[in-house]
Amino acid sequence: MTTVKPIVLAEDNPRDAELALAAMEEHHIADKVVICHDGAEVLDYLYCRGPYKSRESGNPVVVFLDLKMPKVDGIEVLRTIKNDANLKPIPVVMLTSSREERDLAQSYALGANAYVVKPVEFQQFISAVKELGVFWGVINEPPPGGTKSAA
Amino acid sequence: MEIATQDRPAPPPASAPPVSEPVPKHTPPSILRVERLSTWLAKWSIEQRVLAGFGLVFAGILVISVVSYRNTSVVVQNSRLDARSHELVQLLGSIEEALDAAESGHRRYLVTGDESYLKAHHAIVEQMPDYAHYLQALVGNDLERRERMTQLEQLIKEQLDIEASAIKRRAEQGADAVRHLALPGVAKRELDNIHRLIADLETTEQRSTRARVFQSTSSTRNTIALLGLGALLQLVLLGSVYYLIHHDITARRRVAAELRRKGELLQAANKELEAFSYSVSHDLRAPLRHIDGYAALLSKTAGQSLNEKAQRYLQTISDSAKQMGQLIDDLLVFSRMGRQEMLRSTVNVNQLVKTVIHDLRLDLQDKPISWKIGSLPDVSGDPSMLRQVFTNLISNAVKFTGTRPEPRIEIGAMQQVPGEVTLYVRDNGVGFDMQYANKLFGVFQRLHRNDEFEGTGIGLANVRRIVHRHGGRTWAEGALDHGATFYFSLPLKRTT
Repeated sequence: MTTVKPIVLAEDNPRDAELALAAMEEHHIADKVVICHDGAEVLDYLYCRGPYKSRESGNPVVVFLDLKMPKVDGIEVLRTIKNDANLKPIPVVMLTSSREERDLAQSYALGANAYVVKPVEFQQFISAVKELGVFWGVINEPPPGGTKSAA
Repeated sequence: MEIATQDRPAPPPASAPPVSEPVPKHTPPSILRVERLSTWLAKWSIEQRVLAGFGLVFAGILVISVVSYRNTSVVVQNSRLDARSHELVQLLGSIEEALDAAESGHRRYLVTGDESYLKAHHAIVEQMPDYAHYLQALVGNDLERRERMTQLEQLIKEQLDIEASAIKRRAEQGADAVRHLALPGVAKRELDNIHRLIADLETTEQRSTRARVFQSTSSTRNTIALLGLGALLQLVLLGSVYYLIHHDITARRRVAAELRRKGELLQAANKELEAFSYSVSHDLRAPLRHIDGYAALLSKTAGQSLNEKAQRYLQTISDSAKQMGQLIDDLLVFSRMGRQEMLRSTVNVNQLVKTVIHDLRLDLQDKPISWKIGSLPDVSGDPSMLRQVFTNLISNAVKFTGTRPEPRIEIGAMQQVPGEVTLYVRDNGVGFDMQYANKLFGVFQRLHRNDEFEGTGIGLANVRRIVHRHGGRTWAEGALDHGATFYFSLPLKRTT
């Protein structure tokens, strides 16, 4: 089962983004990944504005959010998504280096669907990202609401 | 009569005020004394000092009350004595009058033979016993006066007897027999004696009345002065007690303000530390991930074309990054253990140890460890922190028995001090030299090279930090090649 519905990866660090892409590459889902470099860009994508004005409408299949990002941070993006009736059904996975309890608690309180700490070890990182990509992008059935994808 | 105030107790000891303020600067000995007094007072708690102050006030009031009571009762007694003196003088006056009347009456009788003139004589003879009784009652127990009263009675009796015998002679032998007596009177000399004695007695009474008036006046004056002094003293003492309390409260307030300020500083420092460790956790890990990640990517893309040496270099880069990642994780745990709020509950240590061993099962595979787990008590503490303690100690024991053919690990408890339990983890591993025992629990302190046993040197530091936060102690015993025992104590029950 394949779908063209994209995976949004919010990652300000280009190296982390590249490593994540390399991981997804192994499972041939890298072409579906849209990389946003800060929180504002994620919101631009979700609301089809700015550089994403002309993108095909429809919600992504999953959003991977880093916590620490320039302009608008991950928590703020999460709050915006979960407070918007249209965006709310999108699964949001926090993908971050922080293991702080405060971040965990806050993310879940705001409605994050999963919280993954990026492992230092590349093999673990690769498998984590791969599994996440496969699970949320392929296995998990995304919510129907607000998704008018060009499937 | 002695004045009562002479033998009254000395006024309350005003020389020992509870505060050592009035220091006479010019005389070294008294400075010394005051210093000694103040060092002696410094040993007293504020409560004791206040109590002592109130005790002094109370003693002062007591002494003043007793002395005032005695002074006042002297005044009251004096006024009673005055009344009695007055009565005595009056009585003496009436006796004198009656005697005069009797004497002149009997002379008229001697001349005229008219018996009606004897009325006064008969009256006094009849009344004399009553008068005598009354006199004795008024005189009381004063021996000297009593004697003089007896003397007076004697004189009166003699006088009356002489008069009576003259009257008798007149009645039996007629006017001629007593004619020579009638004019000068039979007992003029005795009567004069009586008059003198009575005048003397009256003078004595007046003198003692004057003395009493003087005594009463001075007693009253003393009482007033004493009450004034007492009031002053109590004011001073109350002032001192107030000063003490005020001083103490001010000091306490200052300490509280200082504590609050320190607390705020500490909180700010803690916040900063939190931010620091947050950024360590987030930012320091990213480059490590990149190092490992790109090393892996490089090895994947160019692995075939690299020679063995280059591949080993890549492997080392990747290993070092992983090790540093582990180090950061351990440090973060260590920092968290210091900051994290403790959630106390009753911890079932038996269950906890089972869980920890279960969690370590991956590390325990293929290891023929023989476990000996004693009966462990329930303790009061933070379950997740105590779990960390046991995880660290047990995984250490597993690690350092790795080279033994028959590894043994013993976990037990003993109770040496009441209210405290000592738990220990003993192994027959490589042990350690006791001279390094004090280094064991320090951060980054390691007794083994990394190629002997892996580790970051934070595990035992964590153990110590957690146990300290629980109010316990950690220590270890061991010998090179003969195993090690790690002890930690925990309070059995604590309310905080």
